[in-house]
Amino acid sequence: MNTGTSNNTRDELREAIIAADPRLSRFRPLPRILSHDEFNSGTHGWCELIGNYDGNGNLDTVDDHMRDFRPPQLSACNFFDIGTHGAMSGTYSLKLATRPITGHTAVGIRRLTMSGRGRVQLEAYLAFKTEATLGNDPALNTFGGVAWDGNLHPSEAQFGAFTMATDICGDGGLRYHTVARYQNTDLDNRLARQWVYPAVPEPTPREHFQGKVKLQYGADFTAPNPEDWHPFGEPQELCYNEVPTKVNWHYVRWQLDTEKRRNIELQVNDRIMDMSEVPVPPYEEGYDSLENLLNFYFSVRTHAPVRNFLYIDSVLISVDW
Amino acid sequence: MTAVLERNTTLEGEFATEPYEVAWAVEARWFVQILSAEPAPDAGGGNGSNGSTAGPGLRLVTQVSPDGITWCDVDDAERVAAGAGLTSWPVREFGHWLRVRGYVEGAGAKVKVRIYLAVKG
Repeated sequence: MNTGTSNNTRDELREAIIAADPRLSRFRPLPRILSHDEFNSGTHGWCELIGNYDGNGNLDTVDDHMRDFRPPQLSACNFFDIGTHGAMSGTYSLKLATRPITGHTAVGIRRLTMSGRGRVQLEAYLAFKTEATLGNDPALNTFGGVAWDGNLHPSEAQFGAFTMATDICGDGGLRYHTVARYQNTDLDNRLARQWVYPAVPEPTPREHFQGKVKLQYGADFTAPNPEDWHPFGEPQELCYNEVPTKVNWHYVRWQLDTEKRRNIELQVNDRIMDMSEVPVPPYEEGYDSLENLLNFYFSVRTHAPVRNFLYIDSVLISVDW
Repeated sequence: MTAVLERNTTLEGEFATEPYEVAWAVEARWFVQILSAEPAPDAGGGNGSNGSTAGPGLRLVTQVSPDGITWCDVDDAERVAAGAGLTSWPVREFGHWLRVRGYVEGAGAKVKVRIYLAVKG
């Protein structure tokens, strides 16, 4: 396209316009912004994920491990100690909340399609917390090897993991996921603070329908076998901020390439992790009905009988096509 | 917004839905849909323990909370649902969290439900 303006001038003008907008200047979008969601004004299409069901709408036919991913909430971060904490942008953020059941996962998904191929970038500001525990039990001062000392709080060890992922399909039914999970604790509730990825594609309802896989309620739907998860990057301590009712927003920027069907990199606050060697295993068989699928999801999984929360202030999805 | 707080969940005895934040909303409405019911084993003849032929009754009370942790009933109103179908009631002037508590009448009786919370600002 010849606009009569040099690329440099155009890029500088674009950067200046973005920098002048407080809502956008906190992001570093690729040239084309597909969506910009500030949850202070609604859910913007981020909704509960559910597995597939039969022609009668019989939700008993939904896979056990995909029927209770919980409805997202618009949260003011109302807490027992200070009342309303609020969000980074206004009062409300999107909250994904698990049940207080070990292994339970909450998932919020956004559904788009692709009008091209190339780089895709997900940016967000998010925070992870557990539900506060109230009582008179001295045992509540210790969990997962963390004892309350006025600084560290046992609730930090009660947070399991949060995950960012895609579900992408195109080019004749070739389907794959890119996945990045922050494993705050291992399954024994010990602090791990490690980014991990799954080496296998996510089990699907069709595989269950075909008798290939049957997972139980609370199974890790992204990759149920813990041995299929592998670390990337170095351990990273995030800002939980001591107690369950102080919310600090983290910047994440995750980039992938749908032309090459590869990860590129993940930035989390001041750390950029190369993900180009993180494998993206496709499904062996093609999928119908999903041409140009471009889904993004966030999930939160508890490793303890305590509600885990993922708060998302805002999300920006941009592409270079 | 509509949240499906219970989806084809089989209730037995006492229960409470998960906390749901509604600080942004000014009005809400519960929809409780009974999908199927199993009477208490000693009820006999498929009758509910309340003596009706509609199956076991489901008693429901709206609760509010300032923090999502500590709850109280919003008023003295108790709703009764029995038999397949939908029961609905509104709630206003709530705190910033809502849930519904209740119980299935009759020891061992079971009721499969979907519970929707519809909220608007």
